[in-house]
Amino acid sequence: MSTFLREHEMSKRVIENLRTQFGDRVDVYERSDRRYYVTVSNEDWIPVTRHMYEEESGRLTTASGSDKPTGVELLYHFAIDRDGSVVNIRTLLSKPFPKIESLTPYYPAADFIEREIFDFLGVEFVGHPDPRKILSSHDRPADFHPMRRDEQ
Amino acid sequence: MSTIIPIGPFHPVLEEPEYITLNVEGETVVGADIDLGRVHRGMELLAQEKTYDQDCFLVERICGICSASHSWATSLAVEDIAGVEVPDRARYLRTIVHELERLHSHMLWVGLGGHIIGYWTVYMWGWKYREPILDCLEAITGNRNHYAWYRPGGVRRDVADEVWPMVLKAMDEFDAQVDLLTNAILDDPVILGRLKGVGILTKEDAIAYGTLGPTARGSAFDVDIRRDEPYGAYSEVDWDVIVQDGCDCLAVAVVRLLEMKEAVKIIKQCINKLPDGPIAAEVREVPRGEGIGHVEAPRGECFHYIRSNGTNMPERHKMRAPTFNNIPSFRPRVKGETISDAVLIFAIIDPCYSCTERMAVMDSHGERLLDYKELLRLSHQKTEEIRKHL
Repeated sequence: MSTFLREHEMSKRVIENLRTQFGDRVDVYERSDRRYYVTVSNEDWIPVTRHMYEEESGRLTTASGSDKPTGVELLYHFAIDRDGSVVNIRTLLSKPFPKIESLTPYYPAADFIEREIFDFLGVEFVGHPDPRKILSSHDRPADFHPMRRDEQ
Repeated sequence: MSTIIPIGPFHPVLEEPEYITLNVEGETVVGADIDLGRVHRGMELLAQEKTYDQDCFLVERICGICSASHSWATSLAVEDIAGVEVPDRARYLRTIVHELERLHSHMLWVGLGGHIIGYWTVYMWGWKYREPILDCLEAITGNRNHYAWYRPGGVRRDVADEVWPMVLKAMDEFDAQVDLLTNAILDDPVILGRLKGVGILTKEDAIAYGTLGPTARGSAFDVDIRRDEPYGAYSEVDWDVIVQDGCDCLAVAVVRLLEMKEAVKIIKQCINKLPDGPIAAEVREVPRGEGIGHVEAPRGECFHYIRSNGTNMPERHKMRAPTFNNIPSFRPRVKGETISDAVLIFAIIDPCYSCTERMAVMDSHGERLLDYKELLRLSHQKTEEIRKHL
């Protein structure tokens, strides 16, 4: 049973490393000792997410995209597995044509995840090797994205 | 020059909708493309129009096999936002149903695995042994599937004490049957010939493609949410994470077989240690905020993210089933294999398309392009055309 008791030291170290490397360009919100929400600018997006995968061995479980009045929000959930915590990296993209560099060339797991966000929210991932829609039907109009709330 | 071979739009064995195009040179596969999107039901959008209690019923319908996992993950996410402490009895009851679900899911796959390699005895055995597990689930929750068992704060119903002896007896019998089946499978040269060394997924690829569950653990990528972030009663019972380093189809099958033994261990301990007390805590209000719930479903990690705006309905409910992350690993697995193995390699991740796809076919005005009547009309039309040719 003792193997389950932990102090969540790894995720604390991850957050410390993010702060040392990126300074005040990362805005950390600590929801609990197992849940962190980190907000970064569009320019820091790839450096921070690559750092999470390559240096901290974070596993990209999935990404949530959502349409907000201020823009389209990307939230990448990185699980720090042996520590049992999730570090979420967040950025806000401007509408009506949200655009950001793709993580897929550095981390293949992002492939389907980014295609899904492109499909439903119309986010263009620059540098994605295979930027096709994935889940919606083939005869859907190319400029219609079901999860966008623009028309409401 | 490569030839393109289409497999689909229905998987030839699993009777599930997917469409694979294989690029082959002679008998050897050199590339593959996977096309999804045939069972969309608009669940993420629908979840935003349901209350948190109704959401648990809705997410159960994502998949008939892992209905307990999805509703537990949703409950965990809501409890994360609202800061609810779940009573001990509820944690144990939740764990028992979750592990029974793992048993019936793995046994279903063992049967299908036998079916895929043309080994009908394994198929018959597997599904025969699966049936008592479903009876246990029916005795505990009232239904063989779609248990309506989990709710934010605890479980929905209490269980009478008379049920447990029957479940314990079924577990003892099942344990012996799994031993028999495991030994029979691992001793059979024909099955080993079909599985061993086929569909290699290296540990590096398993990590890079973000695979989950038995798919990852068969490639020595040691990830299990039950151990990594203990929820339910997993930190209070004795069990092991099964990891194999074979990296081939056999390793994944062995992980599933041995995991069933561990699940039986967990269930027996939970029943013996089952505490008394309330079965649910009351969730009075869900404040503004964000919550994450993830559980280890039979196929891998099942991830739910909920954002609340303070009302009784979620503002955003993201659901991600394990198959969505496991499907991309098909590409490195199938390269260099023969066509005859491609169907097996694709089934080794235990794909579930209903889980993967959750959106309806819509046009820009929000109307369904094909409804039931239309599909029926098309089917009649096609039958008439065929009749003309005869």
